[in-house]
Amino acid sequence: MDLHTKLKILGAAAKYDVSCSSSGSSRRNRPGGLGNASLPGICHSWSDDGRCISLLKILFTNRCVFNCLYCVNRATADVPRATFTPDEVAQLTINFYKRNYIEGLFLSSAVYKNPDYTMELLIATVKKLRNQYHFNGYIHLKVIPGADPLLIAEAGKYVDRLSVNIELPSSQGLQLLAPQKNRDSIIRPMEFIHSKILQTREERKLYKSTPLFVPAGQTTQLIVGATPDNDLKILKLSESLYKRFSLKRVYYSAYVPVTQHPNLPAISSPPLMREHRLYQADWLLRFYGFKADELLDENQPLLNTEIDPKSAWALRNLHLFPVEVNSADYEMLLRVPGIGVRSAKRIIAARRYSSIDFETLKRFGVVLKRARHFITCRGKFYGERNIDELTLYQMLKPSSSQSSGAKPSSEQLTFSSLYPHLFQPQDFHTVITGEM
Amino acid sequence: MVYYIYDGSFEGLLTAIYEAYYRHQNPEKILSSDSIQDNLFIQHVYIKADQEKAERVYSAIVHKISLAAAKKVLYAFLSESPDAATAIYRYLKLGFKLGKSVDSALADPYVFRVHALHKKVSQEAGKMLGLVRFRLLKNGIFYAPIEPDFNILGIIVPHFKRRMSAHDWIIHDLKRKIAAFYSQGQYIIVPFELSGALPLDEEEFDYQTLWKEYFQNIAIQSRINPRLQRQFMPVRYWKHLIEKPGTHDKA
Repeated sequence: MDLHTKLKILGAAAKYDVSCSSSGSSRRNRPGGLGNASLPGICHSWSDDGRCISLLKILFTNRCVFNCLYCVNRATADVPRATFTPDEVAQLTINFYKRNYIEGLFLSSAVYKNPDYTMELLIATVKKLRNQYHFNGYIHLKVIPGADPLLIAEAGKYVDRLSVNIELPSSQGLQLLAPQKNRDSIIRPMEFIHSKILQTREERKLYKSTPLFVPAGQTTQLIVGATPDNDLKILKLSESLYKRFSLKRVYYSAYVPVTQHPNLPAISSPPLMREHRLYQADWLLRFYGFKADELLDENQPLLNTEIDPKSAWALRNLHLFPVEVNSADYEMLLRVPGIGVRSAKRIIAARRYSSIDFETLKRFGVVLKRARHFITCRGKFYGERNIDELTLYQMLKPSSSQSSGAKPSSEQLTFSSLYPHLFQPQDFHTVITGEM
Repeated sequence: MVYYIYDGSFEGLLTAIYEAYYRHQNPEKILSSDSIQDNLFIQHVYIKADQEKAERVYSAIVHKISLAAAKKVLYAFLSESPDAATAIYRYLKLGFKLGKSVDSALADPYVFRVHALHKKVSQEAGKMLGLVRFRLLKNGIFYAPIEPDFNILGIIVPHFKRRMSAHDWIIHDLKRKIAAFYSQGQYIIVPFELSGALPLDEEEFDYQTLWKEYFQNIAIQSRINPRLQRQFMPVRYWKHLIEKPGTHDKA
């Protein structure tokens, strides 16, 4: 089979992996070597579905012994199969990289023969890239569930990021749809990687020459909408993953119906809006100081699809508003709908110098359409008076003309502008997209 | 009313700021010589660029305000926006009064303008780090044409110097007719124009095809969203992207 066919099959087979980010590592180039990593990450292109292409995202092989029902590459699926050799992957990576098509390699794989065998093949590939081709660009490697911890420890020495896919938010879901995987074979490697990262960090404090171990940390992804798990359960899970294993990101991927089976829900299109709201809520957890319990509870376990989670929270907590922008603390400003990390920081910086008027807020990027109902500016309130929660809800909802044009993913642009990465001292204001 | 006219160079602009200070004049605007319009009521004062004066202003910015301010000024200048020079002048005037806290005075329109220009330029530079596409030439040199909105060539070159240190490469700004030439640890940026097409290496065509095929196969059909794609990757940048139609080099 020629390289073109292999790349077509194994590129297409990897497209359901959500993560593409190349951030978090500052690996340097060496004399005579090729490449380095950029801390904020760099996007190189955007595919026709609007997702960023940063890494060459491929499977090593799509020949799989597992039979997870939601997956295109499951053992019983009738699809063309292919397998790369380590050298083919290395050549492709190097030549794409030199032309600046990509930021590095994201190598994943189906389970070929058994988890350990597959993991060894992946390790052989990244070793070749690092040692033989002197490649110092970004490498993200997928951990095959069930692989030996020794192999994971070995892989971690060569790559920038590792990820173990949670796949489904509950163990019942796994049992039903991915019977060969279990919670233990997923959580244990995460725990292992986390402790190894902490250990390396301590050792590097003592000995600077300690080799790096997964400098960009670990991430995971899970599929939304393939099982009946609700948003509260998913957010609680993410919250504990961030807390327990210091994950860099949890990626959510709307379930794309690739096949039909009685255990799978019958839907015609992926639940993109739900995915979008989960990402918004995820951001609130990580950068806005919210807790999962504040956003949802047992009586209301699903995120509202009509308005964003922050507005929904504010509507339930109207007694806390309005707040005065010239005196509210940073944490409270962040909780105002329409004020993001960027504008909150601007407000804090600017009001040290002079008090802020309403016009200035507009220039600072505050979305006044939403924010005006929740703030006062120099004591003056700019929202409607004497309106009830329901009217306000209607006002915060995007109008129908807007919502038809604004497909869920197109809102990700406004969403992405809220990233606090932009405030880290760095050379470039990279537009960090929802894909990072 | 007085307008200062400078020659369009960064040194020229800094010299104009120097003169405004030492002549105790308060020019209404500072404009580059290619963006002036005649007006009877306005006195044009032409400023000749002076290396020494420019360096004095630069070091004053770094020491009296901050290095970050110097960088903001340079980036705002590289935006080539007609109002950039005036905004920079007012920003620095306030900066010499307030010191480094000038960057908190965002309620001032000129401070905000300089910040906004800086952001626009650094955003494009950041985007360009990803969108540069090298082609391998017959002689082993990697060549990339770009047409950015702002003059960001000088900003992005150090990145490629770190990354591609063992190769020879050229990044060519077709719009401004300048190019960065890199070889063995050093680079220069010089005026440059091409008369004809460059001969490409044999294996170049194969990798371009591979990349195109990969690009087409990575999109999820049920999520196709051209609007989102264009938001991140505006059409004006497509011209030199291998993966976009019409840019594939023919064998």
